[in-house]
Amino acid sequence: MSATLGIAGAGLAGRLLALAMAERGWDVTLFDQDAPDGTRSTTYAGAGMLAPGCELEKAEAEIARYGLQSLPLWKELLARYGPTVYHGFTGSLVVAHPRDQRELQQLQRKVEQRAAESGVVQSVSASRLAELEPALAGRFRNGLFFPVEAHIDNRAWLDALREALCARPVAWHTSTPVARVAPHRLVTAQGDAHAFDWAVDCRGLGARTDLPALRGVRGELLYLHAPEVTLSRPVRLMHPRYPIYIVPRPDHVYLVGATAIESDDLGPITVRSVLELLSAAYSVHSGFAEARVIETVTHCRPAFPDNKPRLLYGDGLLHVNGLYRHGFLIAPALIQFARQYLETGSIPAAAQPIMEAYPV
Amino acid sequence: MWQLGDQSLTSRLLIGSAQYPSPAIMVEAIRASRAEVVTVALRRQRPDEDAGRQFWNLIRETGLRVLPNTAGCRTAREAVTMARMARELFETNWIKLEVIGDDYTLQPDTWQLVEAARTLVADGFEVLPYTTEDLVVARGLVEAGCRVLMPWAAPIGSGQGPLNPYALRTLRDRYPEIPLICDAGLGRPSHAATVMEMGFDGVLINSAVASADDPVAMARAFAAAVDAGRTAYEAGLMTAREMATPSTPVPGTPFWHSDLGAR
Repeated sequence: MSATLGIAGAGLAGRLLALAMAERGWDVTLFDQDAPDGTRSTTYAGAGMLAPGCELEKAEAEIARYGLQSLPLWKELLARYGPTVYHGFTGSLVVAHPRDQRELQQLQRKVEQRAAESGVVQSVSASRLAELEPALAGRFRNGLFFPVEAHIDNRAWLDALREALCARPVAWHTSTPVARVAPHRLVTAQGDAHAFDWAVDCRGLGARTDLPALRGVRGELLYLHAPEVTLSRPVRLMHPRYPIYIVPRPDHVYLVGATAIESDDLGPITVRSVLELLSAAYSVHSGFAEARVIETVTHCRPAFPDNKPRLLYGDGLLHVNGLYRHGFLIAPALIQFARQYLETGSIPAAAQPIMEAYPV
Repeated sequence: MWQLGDQSLTSRLLIGSAQYPSPAIMVEAIRASRAEVVTVALRRQRPDEDAGRQFWNLIRETGLRVLPNTAGCRTAREAVTMARMARELFETNWIKLEVIGDDYTLQPDTWQLVEAARTLVADGFEVLPYTTEDLVVARGLVEAGCRVLMPWAAPIGSGQGPLNPYALRTLRDRYPEIPLICDAGLGRPSHAATVMEMGFDGVLINSAVASADDPVAMARAFAAAVDAGRTAYEAGLMTAREMATPSTPVPGTPFWHSDLGAR
């Protein structure tokens, strides 16, 4: 008889784990507060950037390591479940205005110092910048290029995973929030208990019912339709107070984000944030002046106090939580660790910094 | 020990809570700094809904005296409202008063600052105003009832160090009894030591620690620099001489030859 697995949370991590285990013949049941389209998940709200280099500025070294490990896994995942999902493995660019050159230098210094290997970041001249992104020609004197970075259409990907899951024998309880994840057992908010060989927690901030140390870090971003702007890869603008990224989607749609506010407020975007994001975007390319604001997005990233994810394991229990702003970046690596633990009961060496016995 | 408002303090370093790589690193850096006072911004956290509760709890758990600030406010009215909200949230009458007049440099709007200080002092606040090095503004703040002054060394986050040491010394000379805390613009431990050597009562550090490669180690470095600067001030610094004159006659050189130098 095949092992049974109950997963709380059908965001990126929950869906990837459900697919991986279903394909190995496990009997998988998914529970989620949301509908199958997942529009309330942080996965839907994110930007789908895979930036293991840029993240070295603030994140711990493990994040970059899991990010680099995840890049080839992403290629396999895309080929398998979402060959038509928009993505680009063409690197990303970082620019700064003349009076903020210091920010650029500081980023480069930090990345070079913390990177495990060289070549993660390259200085580029104005002419090289124009070769990579013709739309930036004449607008910046220099920049930084992170050649291995990538981006994925997060929403199309979420939908591709939905299709893949629906094509497999996975039971999916939608509109069913989970209140408790315990060894061998999930308890829904309605109070129904479900027994499994393994109970896995892949919730976002919903996991606070079991893990009170999780906090929300509010992020806000905008969807713009800018026919006058053509960018093929993510562009970051360094600024002492308003650093932004611009991430392309098909048909001249761009995501401009994102704020990071220590708050679990889920309310609509503020005027100040819109002003900051749009002024910064306009300063990158004046073609954004006539862009349409097609959507504003706000959500709260689930984070532990050290902003590092955790795989908390016990008998018949695994929590995969606190992916913070690094969901797309590191999820494939984390799901590989989770799978290995579920199948063999062993802790992969690479996962040791983030795996802890639970409850302690 | 020294006195800041109603509190006796041992440490002369006050620390900020913004821009750290993570709250965990922030807490560790705050501990390493040995600071007893920590500033907290609440403007963007929806204080009316207590939406930043979890982050603020991490700060409260350090056990330090919390000094809420009005960062991001641009008028006296906004700053007064924010100060009142902060008093409710943190149960303290201390407020680091910031009223920003220029968005890029974050230079204080000193007219609005004095006006807000007057209102808040009358309302029972212990107002710690973030101001420029301007002597006349300082006088206005003292007349408004501020018992502490927090002049900048340079624009917030610039790390430039004291740009106008003359004016900072003037403030010290003219207000010997008022605690002076150098707030903003200090980028290096040596900058902190420099203002402490001038006789400042304390320094407030944030960006220089938070954006260091290793914020915890940098917090230790600033703590040591503040100690060194204060100890040096109390020990009495030697006066620099205009020329490199030997302090005793060089043996073998008759004093009437000493100005001839080496041939």
